[in-house]
Amino acid sequence: MDELKTKIIERIKANFQDATENNSFNYNRLDFNVNKTTVPSILFYLKDEMGFKHLSHITCVDWLEEGELELIFIVWSPVDKIKVFVRTRLDRENPVMDNIDMIWRQAHTYEREFREMFGIQFTGLEAPQDFLLEDWDGPPPMRRDFHTEEYASETFFERPGREDAGDVREEIIKRSGEEIPDFAKKYSR
Amino acid sequence: MSFFDLKGTVKPLTALKQFGKKPHTISYPKESKEAADRYRGFHYNDIEECIGCGNCSTICQNAAIDMIHIEGVEGKKGDSGLRPRIDHGRCCWCALCVEVCPTGSLSLTKDYLYVSDDPDSFLWTPGVDNPEGKDKISFYTTNEISLNDFKRIPMPELEGMERVKSFAEVVLGYNEEQARAEASRCISCGLCTEACPEHMHIPEYINAIATGNDADAVRIIYDNNPLPEMCGKVCTRRCEDVCAIAVRGEPIAIRWLKRYATETALTSEITREIVNPEIKEANGKSVGIIGAGPSGLTAGYYLALRGYDVTIYEANAKAGGATMYGIPKYRFPIDSLDKQIEYIQSIGVKIHFNTKVGKDISFKEIYDKFDVVFMGVGFPDAWSLGVDGEDAKGSMQAFRFLHMVNSGEKVDIGDKVVVVGGGNVAIDAARVSRRLGAEVTILYRRRVEDMPADWEEIEGAEDEGVHIVPQGIPIKVHKDEKGHVKSVEYLKAEMVPDERGGRPKPVAIEGSNTIIEATSVMAAIGQMGDYSFLGKEFEDKIKIERGRFVVNDKQQTTDPKVFAGGDAVNRTADAISAIADGFKACKAIDEMLSKDKN
Repeated sequence: MDELKTKIIERIKANFQDATENNSFNYNRLDFNVNKTTVPSILFYLKDEMGFKHLSHITCVDWLEEGELELIFIVWSPVDKIKVFVRTRLDRENPVMDNIDMIWRQAHTYEREFREMFGIQFTGLEAPQDFLLEDWDGPPPMRRDFHTEEYASETFFERPGREDAGDVREEIIKRSGEEIPDFAKKYSR
Repeated sequence: MSFFDLKGTVKPLTALKQFGKKPHTISYPKESKEAADRYRGFHYNDIEECIGCGNCSTICQNAAIDMIHIEGVEGKKGDSGLRPRIDHGRCCWCALCVEVCPTGSLSLTKDYLYVSDDPDSFLWTPGVDNPEGKDKISFYTTNEISLNDFKRIPMPELEGMERVKSFAEVVLGYNEEQARAEASRCISCGLCTEACPEHMHIPEYINAIATGNDADAVRIIYDNNPLPEMCGKVCTRRCEDVCAIAVRGEPIAIRWLKRYATETALTSEITREIVNPEIKEANGKSVGIIGAGPSGLTAGYYLALRGYDVTIYEANAKAGGATMYGIPKYRFPIDSLDKQIEYIQSIGVKIHFNTKVGKDISFKEIYDKFDVVFMGVGFPDAWSLGVDGEDAKGSMQAFRFLHMVNSGEKVDIGDKVVVVGGGNVAIDAARVSRRLGAEVTILYRRRVEDMPADWEEIEGAEDEGVHIVPQGIPIKVHKDEKGHVKSVEYLKAEMVPDERGGRPKPVAIEGSNTIIEATSVMAAIGQMGDYSFLGKEFEDKIKIERGRFVVNDKQQTTDPKVFAGGDAVNRTADAISAIADGFKACKAIDEMLSKDKN
């Protein structure tokens, strides 16, 4: 397996100068970090030249603190029994990515979902604007700065019959007679 | 074709091979298929196991969970008495509530079919309204998937045999990174605050540490505890017993976090700068306090902040009471206590050291001089063993021994020490004797698991090579010809269950006499008060029952001008209860004296 991994790394690095590898997994996995412009060509190369016929998954990670979105393409070679992760970072403010649904048709569905849930635009993607969410005009809901609870309380009204709800901290305070100073209250749950 | 078609007759019989097998057809009436193994359907809550921490309600992103009172569930220490009710109209079955449940009482079942045209009927309490859910649980939390962190950040400590070489502090304290990580484990439910006698604002200061605001944490801590560094090191921490995380894991290290916060203020000046207490203008009233222990210092500190003229009379050369003289310095170093006393003095509390009431000044003088008197006199005497030969040289009270060592006196204990008792005082005396170079044996009449001492202390003693003999009842101290302790004779005991449901009792086994050689014997079987300082006149006025002052819920004794707190009042005999007494008395005194003013 190690031999195979080294061979894959050599071939990829020879063809794609910007690719950096992560070979720290002790099972059948290899990671490559590339620029977003390299993604379509590296995926073409992996599929057509190296036997990675199968697209297992595409996923996205929101690196809020770093101001970036990370797209991860996972491809699998049924012959060599190894998977390769292709990772790329997009600017969180203006995330644009090339459409790759001509390489694998099923990427189309993933891309529609990323457009809706993370706000990533795919140039060349031909698909209706709405996917799962209906008449959505809020921010992309899978981004980490989307406040689900706030959205839920703004969108859905409180049904009558729930006024008897208590607060655990207040209940304890009532029983014990604790007096929390005002400046400390911002740290309460 | 023959008349008798054998094939046509026999062939249908092959269908019999299907006999007894599961039919492939759909049965009628239709049975719905069972849901998948980890299906996330309706909630089920084990009402008995639930402690009402409200973590489910806090995490719910749809605000679908309310905490409500239900019939038959009463709140107690470690249980808020509230239980979750779920609006299934809002629930999205994400199961975050299950993943964060610290007790594991909340789970999801395979039930998912529910049809009703009444929207109100979707509001129900799991476990109460669907008791049948108990047998259909499918999605439940495990330690692997739980979002709670059940493992405590280990506290760095000196290694066992390294410790006995000196009186250096054993526990080294968290660094910033460790403290933030440990504080982040807290779920801020606040169940702990009820178990704390002083009701400190625990979730608030832990949250302040977790978010990196150490100064705020110190300020919150000083709101009702003027000796937090002492508590951070040696508190009996009943808060940690009821911690919600402790149900399935290790409780949050509340004590160590308090220690971390207070240690960020290195000196009394920095403490003063951070806490920046508001000191009210002097109101002309005065309070006299007897004893500079935790209760006296607490009452003094908060009364001084409220503008009272506070004077404390302390018999010893240093303040701190039992925390100064009873606790060994490897647990609570002297400069750590000094820093806190200095801070308390800096806000205007006057302390007269080496002034024993009843000897250097009479109780009557104090009583007449001040508007109110507070007594935090503690238990200065100890129970004796009550066995033959106890008067031998080298036989002493563990409490006295600790007092002498802590005041820097030299005590000759020889090289073989026997400590009788199983409380913290016994363990402390044993560990101090180890540091003075002696071989130490602890003789305790019950089992090790019955010892009232902190388990960490017992473990610490074992690590340092202290030998513990459980189920041993001392009967005689043998003397040599010079009248010095030579050995201790004890009977082995067996544990007999108590018929009335109490703790099992040790009963001596006849003829099991065993002798251990010893150069000194220390009794650590309890302390008692000495109230002779009151004098004849006040002994009648201030009622004492079973060795303790009788007080009302405001810490007021039978003389309305005299308040009391600490070991001489409460039965729990720890510092935090004494602080609670002092704080309660301060509020009552303030109320009483400010009424006089108007």
